[in-house]
Amino acid sequence: MDIDVKKLHPLEVKLLRHVSLEEKIDNERLINELGYKVGQCNQAFSWLCQKQLLKEVDRSVKVVYELTDFGRAIEKDGLPAERIFTFLGEKGPHTMPEIAEALKMENSEVGSAFGALSSKKAVMLNSERKAERVSDELPDDIKAQRALLEKALADGELDDAALNAGEKKTISQMAKKRGASQSPFKLCERESVVYELTEAGAEAKGELEKANITGEEFGLLTPEMLKSGSWKNGTFRPYGVDAPTARLIPGRRNAYGSYLQWVKDKLISLGFEEFDGPLVENEFWNGDALFMPQFHSARDIHDVYYVKDPRHAKRIEEPWLSQVAAVHENGWTTGSRGWGYSFDHEFTRRQVLRSQGTVLSAHQLTKAKVPGKYFGIVRCFRYDQVDATHGADFYQTEGIVLGDDVNLRNLLGLLKMFAEEIAGAEEVKYVPGYFPFTEPSIEVHIKHPVLGWFELGGSGIFRPEVTKALGIDVPVLAWGLGIDRMALMHLGLNDLRELFTPNIESVRTRRGN
Amino acid sequence: MPKIDAPEKIFFSLLGKEMSDEELVNIFPVAKAELDGHDRDGKVIKIELNDTNRPDLWSAAGVARALKTYETEEIRHYDFFSTSEKVLPSAERAVIDDESAIGIRDFSIGFAAKGKKVDNDLLVNLIQSQEKLCTNFGRKRKTIALGIYRSDLIKYPVHYAAVDPDKTSFVPLGMDECLTLREICEKHPKGKEYGYIVSDKPRFPYLYDDSGETLSFPPVINSARIGAVEIGDSDLFVELSGPILDDLLLAASILSCDMADMGFEILPVKVTLAKDTKYGREITVPYYFQSEAKCSVKAVEKKLGLAISAEECVKALRRMGVEATCSGDEITAKCPPYRNDFLHEVDVIEDIMIGYGLDNFIPLMPHDFTVGRLSAAEEFSRKVKEIMVGLGFQEMMYNYLGSKKEYIERMHTDGKECVFIMNPMSENYEVVRPSVIPSLLESESVSAHAVYPHNIFEVGKICIKDDEDNSGTVTKNSLGFLSSDNQVGYNEASSLINTLMYFLRKEYRLEAVESDPRFIPGRAAYIVYDGKRVGIFGEVHPQVLESWGSEMPTIAAEVDLDSLI
Repeated sequence: MDIDVKKLHPLEVKLLRHVSLEEKIDNERLINELGYKVGQCNQAFSWLCQKQLLKEVDRSVKVVYELTDFGRAIEKDGLPAERIFTFLGEKGPHTMPEIAEALKMENSEVGSAFGALSSKKAVMLNSERKAERVSDELPDDIKAQRALLEKALADGELDDAALNAGEKKTISQMAKKRGASQSPFKLCERESVVYELTEAGAEAKGELEKANITGEEFGLLTPEMLKSGSWKNGTFRPYGVDAPTARLIPGRRNAYGSYLQWVKDKLISLGFEEFDGPLVENEFWNGDALFMPQFHSARDIHDVYYVKDPRHAKRIEEPWLSQVAAVHENGWTTGSRGWGYSFDHEFTRRQVLRSQGTVLSAHQLTKAKVPGKYFGIVRCFRYDQVDATHGADFYQTEGIVLGDDVNLRNLLGLLKMFAEEIAGAEEVKYVPGYFPFTEPSIEVHIKHPVLGWFELGGSGIFRPEVTKALGIDVPVLAWGLGIDRMALMHLGLNDLRELFTPNIESVRTRRGN
Repeated sequence: MPKIDAPEKIFFSLLGKEMSDEELVNIFPVAKAELDGHDRDGKVIKIELNDTNRPDLWSAAGVARALKTYETEEIRHYDFFSTSEKVLPSAERAVIDDESAIGIRDFSIGFAAKGKKVDNDLLVNLIQSQEKLCTNFGRKRKTIALGIYRSDLIKYPVHYAAVDPDKTSFVPLGMDECLTLREICEKHPKGKEYGYIVSDKPRFPYLYDDSGETLSFPPVINSARIGAVEIGDSDLFVELSGPILDDLLLAASILSCDMADMGFEILPVKVTLAKDTKYGREITVPYYFQSEAKCSVKAVEKKLGLAISAEECVKALRRMGVEATCSGDEITAKCPPYRNDFLHEVDVIEDIMIGYGLDNFIPLMPHDFTVGRLSAAEEFSRKVKEIMVGLGFQEMMYNYLGSKKEYIERMHTDGKECVFIMNPMSENYEVVRPSVIPSLLESESVSAHAVYPHNIFEVGKICIKDDEDNSGTVTKNSLGFLSSDNQVGYNEASSLINTLMYFLRKEYRLEAVESDPRFIPGRAAYIVYDGKRVGIFGEVHPQVLESWGSEMPTIAAEVDLDSLI
């Protein structure tokens, strides 16, 4: 049998155990014999039919009149006609408004009830325009209405099939199908369905009996049960442990943010200290301090975003400005011949949005300790068409290592460590690279278990033109890692724009590997 | 990064042998080159060059030369260079610069070549070399413009002058009619592209021969006769103009070496300059102008972390095409004529590194001990994030660039404090965000389908104007959060702020916000800490929600974290 009876709901269990093959089962039986409410009957029938433990054998429509709250009220307080009739009997003739006031009824209500009574010659208006009783007996139709109300009181409803012709006529004036709140009865067409057990249903019933499941097992454990100790008097209903779960929406970190945090923690654990800086830079730090000549193609208007206002920084810090300018012009004391052009002191103050993380490495040189290791994961801005591989702004991961005798082999060692620790590389390959601010320059390529060979980053030893002009006399290893590619893989994405998506649902459901 | 298309036939013939793609991939790094693709139908090898300071590598001949030298350890000598001491004969070939060009485009120099018939591949290759030199090295012809002419039609000497643009005319290449120089700037495609370089000058550069026939209007266009090199020509004249003499000389050296490698005989041309230079007034081109570079073996060892002998250094340099000698600890490197990138001894050291072979360096960890440490802002941010997550909020991360519409108009603010970009690529990215709140509201505008409540936050940077600062701007670390649901209001926002500040151990008080178009009047407060307003929160104004297209009541808050650290 493919139904696990342990998973049946108590409503199903009790029904199955209560009935036998070929017995007719309907709402009425469940209500009378098992004490189910209408809603519970419907649930039990619907679930069992779905499981094919029950089958429908007959379906008919029956008309019933439900006593409304209004109906209950007038049964208790009297029909308007009854009340007026009694009032006039006890207090003698009164005007309509007097009646309305005394009985706290609407004038219109008094009017229509009076009309009904007077048409049956039970009351009339006398010469003083006062209503006066002219009969000792209520009219028959009012009596008939009263009788129906009383009859309905027991079950709260009347079955149309059980009414005689006279009663049917009376109730037709007292019932409405819709908007029945001001009518004594509501007319309902109730579908009555009759079910029977299927073979499988009978089998399930047997299983339930064998397993001694009664449907009376405890559901929720309540504080009251614990207080009273009543839990000792029964067993707990087993739950279907693999039932579908409700969706929870937890407070959560951003998956990309968590990845960046992981990288930061890695670098901290490797002895690096974090740096950061403002988004607005100037040409001096963004390029000049990195020994990029002011006419360098990467400093073109089509590569860097300029700040509209203020266009220029007020000043550039000394002695860095003079030293860097001299380095560009003639090499200063760095042993370089420089670029041999006249340094533009206005251009150098022009403000830009930071276009490369190395800018912050340059800043750091002016306050670095020796030995020292520093890094930053910082937002940069490029003049690029935004697409799957280019963002308007993006993170760069950069760092420097200062030491009296750090050298190329240390740089390779560092890159190897990053490749293995951060990128999980299987193999590492170094090739000569080119950056305006490092010499020698090295690119590191790695073989990633999923992504295959790709360029992990660029690096080198800062040119003396860069370090000496910023007050550093020891070699400085500089490196940058392209971690976004790994972040995308980690998050199962392939579009850089997705890293900064505003879409809440997408961020809520995103997870790292 | 420059990219070139090298025709297989020329490339392999220059290389002296054929190589598989795999072999190319392995050897290319010595020229800082990458195999960018191989078009087998067009028989073209696509190469990307990474060193922007080595224009000699931006041609098939240049790359082939570097690879061949590396493999054979043999340096090709070019015997057509004059020096300050040795001036080669130039026969009748001469260029005379006129003083009128000073301040307009100071110099024009040239050399000639003969002995090789130009075929299609060669012509395409020559034009490509010319383009790379002028575009990448010559800053889109601003500092170098290069023309190739039919030498046999020229009556030497060639004259270079600056002339009246309205009174000088000729038939430019690619057209049939005779146009003045100014008309060329307005009508000719090349004029429209490059005319701006000179169009604000009173006179325009002009190149013509001794019989008065036009060679070109540098840096814009050649003439249709002398300036139209065709397949089958074998006598060529190459002219270069620009404001920086060293750049012109280097470009002439590069192209002459390339052409020599392709089988041309290079013929020197005597150039008379119109002003004094460090090389004098008269110079014979191609001209070797580079100086020697020196470097000590000790410096090599310190930089590379490897014990190496002077002889090994010299050998490594040789593979890089650099002739060097050693004397004791000192290495003297002679820069090849087609290079000018030895600015500092470190440039020589890098060549030694590549020549020695990167594979021969064993990685070694630095041995200095240093303490790892997060920035104070990061540590504090992490505390804040932890509390926000505990309060049931989802962390978001947004771009920092956006549009005026998002950051200002939809917020109904005046945007006075916003930092704008002067040269935006698109209006979608023209403002640095002044607040985290518009970013959070953008989420609301695209996430109506996501199950409510929406509880989101970001700890990130904002940037606004600040007269006090040297840059006139200030970047701040900021927390923004937003809650959006059927029933949210000021009280929830205040409770959240209260909880946050409690766990951050920050005593604060609140001040009613008088007027802020982002919030419902009377339902927003400033957070005051240490006597300073450090944040704001409240019920987002329906006009703001409407602008963002959100139909759900929303509260928002922003706190300047830098003021709390």
